[in-house]
This record gives sequence, structure tokens and C-alpha cells, in this order.
Amino acid sequence: MLDWRKFFKRRQNWLALFLVGSFFFVALAAPWLAPPDDPANPPPFKGVGRTFDRLPQAPNEESPLGTVGQLANLARFGFTPGQDRFEQWDVWYTLVWGTRSALKFGLIVTLTSATLGILVGIIAGYAGGVINQSLMLVTDAFLTFPVIAAVWLFQRVLYTRLYNPFVLPEELVYWEQFLLRLDIDPIMLAMIVFSWMPYARLVNGMVIQQKHADYITAAHAMGAHSWRIIWRHLLPNAISPAVVFGARDVGSSVILATAFIFIGFAGSVTWGVMLVAARDYVIGLSGNPFAYWWTFIPISLGLILFGVGWNLLGDGLNDLLNPRTR
Amino acid sequence: MTPFLKYLLGRLIAIPITLLIITMVLYGIIMLAPPEERAALYLPPRLPSRLTASQIAFELEQIAEEHGMNDPYLVQYGNWLREWLSGYWGWSPILRSDVRPVLLARTAVTLELTFYSLLVFIPLGLISGVVAGWRPFSATDSLFRFAAFVGTSIPPFILGLFLLSIFYVGLRWFPPGRTSITGLTFRTSTFQAYTGFLTVDGVLNGRFDVTFNAFRHLVLPVFTLSLFHWATLGRINRALTIEEKDKDYVLLARSRGLRHRSIVWRHTFRNTISPALTSTALSAASIITGVYVIEVIFGLKGLSELIAQGIVGAPDAPLTLAFSVYSVLLVIPIMVALDIIKAIVDPRDRLATEEVDY
Repeated sequence: MLDWRKFFKRRQNWLALFLVGSFFFVALAAPWLAPPDDPANPPPFKGVGRTFDRLPQAPNEESPLGTVGQLANLARFGFTPGQDRFEQWDVWYTLVWGTRSALKFGLIVTLTSATLGILVGIIAGYAGGVINQSLMLVTDAFLTFPVIAAVWLFQRVLYTRLYNPFVLPEELVYWEQFLLRLDIDPIMLAMIVFSWMPYARLVNGMVIQQKHADYITAAHAMGAHSWRIIWRHLLPNAISPAVVFGARDVGSSVILATAFIFIGFAGSVTWGVMLVAARDYVIGLSGNPFAYWWTFIPISLGLILFGVGWNLLGDGLNDLLNPRTR
Repeated sequence: MTPFLKYLLGRLIAIPITLLIITMVLYGIIMLAPPEERAALYLPPRLPSRLTASQIAFELEQIAEEHGMNDPYLVQYGNWLREWLSGYWGWSPILRSDVRPVLLARTAVTLELTFYSLLVFIPLGLISGVVAGWRPFSATDSLFRFAAFVGTSIPPFILGLFLLSIFYVGLRWFPPGRTSITGLTFRTSTFQAYTGFLTVDGVLNGRFDVTFNAFRHLVLPVFTLSLFHWATLGRINRALTIEEKDKDYVLLARSRGLRHRSIVWRHTFRNTISPALTSTALSAASIITGVYVIEVIFGLKGLSELIAQGIVGAPDAPLTLAFSVYSVLLVIPIMVALDIIKAIVDPRDRLATEEVDY
């Protein structure tokens, strides 16, 4: 059975649970930690300190982590601006509310692509023969495709009408309506479509290895249905490497999404958009990179800790679920 | 036929099939955009204002008909494939030029960065994994694990900006961009572009200052790109080495009186290279993704320049499609090269050509 006692003995697993847990806590407690002006419909960014001065303002009483000048071309990132252009953005507010968008993004991408990959892997492995080979060929073909090209392709070809303010919602085609209603941005879509392959390969390997184990043969002999064997026997045994991979994937997918937003793609992880606004201050206006530290350090740190937390959780789960491999 | 040739042939045959599958998927995605939308790109940039909406619609229909945009999927895909194979990769309405020369002109920059990164992180990753794995939980291993932890934790784009602010803005050691020497990008009689790699062309032209300068510009992007992949590869090879060093054949080798160094580098190392490089080959696509991101951050005008230019605006299907397929063409050679290295180093790879499926 699972050795939970050993899991809880290791300090780094506690750190992992603490980090991941605190991100969930911040996401849930966001309305209290950073109260929005309009609680019924909280915006992704909070404008403060109406000023014509574009320079970021240091942390003060109103905004505990200072402010950053807001982006002029917010629509380009898939957000509707709808606020005062002369107001600056509150860093603390986006840091807190950004955990929601990050967790939402990471979990949706990971759960969807993992489900997709596990399904493909199990079906291919269980069917075997030509079906297995052709499905794995498709998997390998998808593996050769860089996600960034997919993001660009989706944004340029599928999302132009969605992000065009002159196209009315009624004019959209059925799949455009679908994407709009489910609030899927191009980065999310690209990462779902092009990150299921590792899961498929992992699960496929496990299934092929397990398929001829004695207990499966016994289940067959007892007259168990194929789906029952897959669901009750193969899935629980084949899924553990996928769980480990998935835990790490939550963090790394959010980091990758932030990188894509940072270089200019449309995405819903607001931390990324905030970093775009802070981009110039990282280089430092006066040659001192820390002159405007509050514009990028808190968000970057949040992002790094987010990745570290899920990574450590993956390591811990790996020790727990696959004790043989270290 | 030797097993090695057979293995190589098997790998090469898989390439066109892979390309066929991925292009079919990509073309399917392109086809989701309505024909009028795609046809709109072929309208002249300034339409006479006296045209009515119905006239424009008629014009769009004409264009769609002319370019076969209303044909069934397989017909359109077949046409596209035929054109692609004959060397016509499409015309981009946004760039107002053919796509192929635009892509080819920017390839060398991307390849140079990719090449040097692979050259840095693969040997370093393999070696540091072995060194750390042979003495797990020693001081060296702890140092490695800490460095690998940092390397996998810091998002490359944030690391890149930090490095720029320290080593460019602060110390002025490593500037961004490709070269600080002006006039190289133009065709001049004094500097010939033989390979497109500035580091190599500098040597070939006898301009060692160019080579040195190009390397100076490459230090930061190569480091930023390599760190993450070095850490990942090193961790994998460390885990493999730990597993390998307790096996019976190591004990046997030791009892035969072989030297430690020989056991490490000639026995266990050769056994871990192949699975370790498999993981790198599988992430070849993400390496290319990383290359594009790093190019944007460091202002290297490679293939990613096209992405940065064309994020907003109308759906430029030919450009995005050609770019996507071209990216796949960059990924596949990396995968194949790693496979070949694996087969050379580890004979088990090239012998086990038949599928292991009972």
C-alpha cells in the first residue's frame, strides 16, 4: 500500500503541501485579501491613483506592493480594458487574484490533457497491434510540434474574429461560441491539444507491461468485460506515473503560459500580463535593476514558488507512488 | 544489411509519415476558419470606398473560388501538399511576400542558437548526472541537486531578463542582439555569408573579431536556454546512474579488478546515455519553443521575429502554416540526430528494432 508515513516524514513534502496549499488558500481568500471595488464582478486588474505620471509608484498605504503603469493595448491580450486609462495597476491585487487565474489555467490544462492522453494510451495499449502502432505514430507526430507554433496558429487563425471588437457575438460560428463560452484562450487551447502526448506514452508503456500480468488473465478468465478490466484493473495501475507528471505539469504549464504572454500572446494568466507591464523596469531605467523592484519581484517570486510547489509535490508523489524508481 | 543500417532506415521512413500526420492536423485547424475570412486577406490593401458590402462579398467569393477555398478538406490539403513539395510554401498577405525566402533567411540565427545550446547542455547534463549519481547525497551531489533545483525553478524568460539587466545594463559585458559589428547583414564583398552562422563565417572570412563578437552575444541566450535543459537531463541521468551502479555487472567488473574510472565511464555511463537522451529527444519540440522565446527576449532576429511581428491582425493562414511546418522540420533533425547517437553508443537500441508488443 501507499507509504503515507514516509511521505509525511520528509520535510520537502511538507514544503510542497504548504506551497500548493497556500496558493489555493490565497485563491479562495482573494476577496478578503484584496477587496475589489465591485465584488460581484471582480476585474483582473485594479486601477489606483489616478495620475498622469507613468512611472510606477513605490509601495504605500493604499497599495501595499506599489503600482505599475497599465498596458495601453490590453485588448491584444484578450482582456476588455473598460477602466480609466490614467489609473495605475495595483500589484498586490493582481498578485492575489492572479493565483486564481494561474490555478484555473494549470488545472484545466493538466486535467484535460491528462485525461486525453490517458485515454489514448490505455485504448492503444489494450487494443494492441495495428491500433496501438498507429495511435502511437500519431502521438509521436504530435510530439514533434512546438507548442509556441500552435499558440500562434490558433491565435492567428481561430481567434481573430473572437478578439475583433467589431464582430458581434451572434455572428460567431459554433466552435467560436464554444471557445468564448468556456473562456478558453489560445494558449490554453494550444497547450491542451499539444501536451497530452507524454501521458499517452507513459500510460501506454505501463498498460503494455501490465496487460499480460496474471491478475488480468484471471479477470479475463472470470469473464470480466474489457471496459471493466480497463477501468478497475489497468487504469489504477497505469495511472501513477501520469499523476506524478501531471503534478509537475500544473506548475510548468503556468510558467510556459506566462512566458508566451510575456512575448506577446493572448492569455488569461494575469501574472503574465502584469509582467508585460513591468517589462521595462526589469532592465532598470537608471541601470539599477532593483530601482522599481515592486513591479516585477513579487509576481516573479509568486510564479517561481508556484512552479517549485507543484514540482516538489510531483517529487513527493513520485516517491509515494513509484517507490522503485527514485 | 547490418542492424545499424536497418535501424537508421526505420527511423528515416518514419519521418515522412510523421510529417504527413502533423500537416494534416495543422491544415485541418486552418480549415476551421471560414473561407471568406481567409479570402479577405487577398483583397487589395486599399479598397475603393464606393464598393458596397455585397460587391465586397462577391469579390471575396471570387477569391475563395479562385484559390479553391470551398473545396473539400482532402482536395485542399492535397493541393497544399503538392505546392509545398514543389517548393512553393505560400504567399503571406501580411508580409506581402512569398513565405519561403522569409523563413529561410531567418533560419541560420535560430539554428546557431539551438546548435550551441545543444552542444552545451547535452554533454554537461550527462556528465554532471554521472558525477552526482555515483556518490548520491555527497557534497558534490548536494551541490548538483541544488543547482538543478534552481535551474528548473526559475522561468527562463525571467532569468533572461535578470541576466540582461546585470550583464548588459550593469556590467556591459554581454550585449543583446546578434552582433555589434555593423554592416554584416548587407551583402558586401568583404564579408561573405557562407553558412549564415556568424561564429563560423567570421573564421571563414578571417574576421576573428566577428566570431568573438558573435560568441559574446550568444553567451547569455545559450546559458539561459541551456540551464533548464541541463538541469532536467542531469537529474534524469543521475537517477539512472544511481539505479545502474548497484547492478551485478558493476560488481563483476569490480571483482575483475577494473579501475573505478573505467567502470564509471565505460560501463555504467554507456548504459545510461540511451535512456537519458531519449528524454531529451522527446522534449526536442519544447527546446525549439524555448529557443523562440529566448530569441524574443534577447532580440535575436531569428524565426521568432515572424511571431513577434504577426501577433495582431488578420488570420494569415499561409504564414502561420508554413511557420508551423517549418518548426517541425527543425525539431525532427534534432530527434533523429539524438536517435543516431543513441544507436551508436548503445547497441541494444539498434538491435531491438522489432516492436516489443506481445
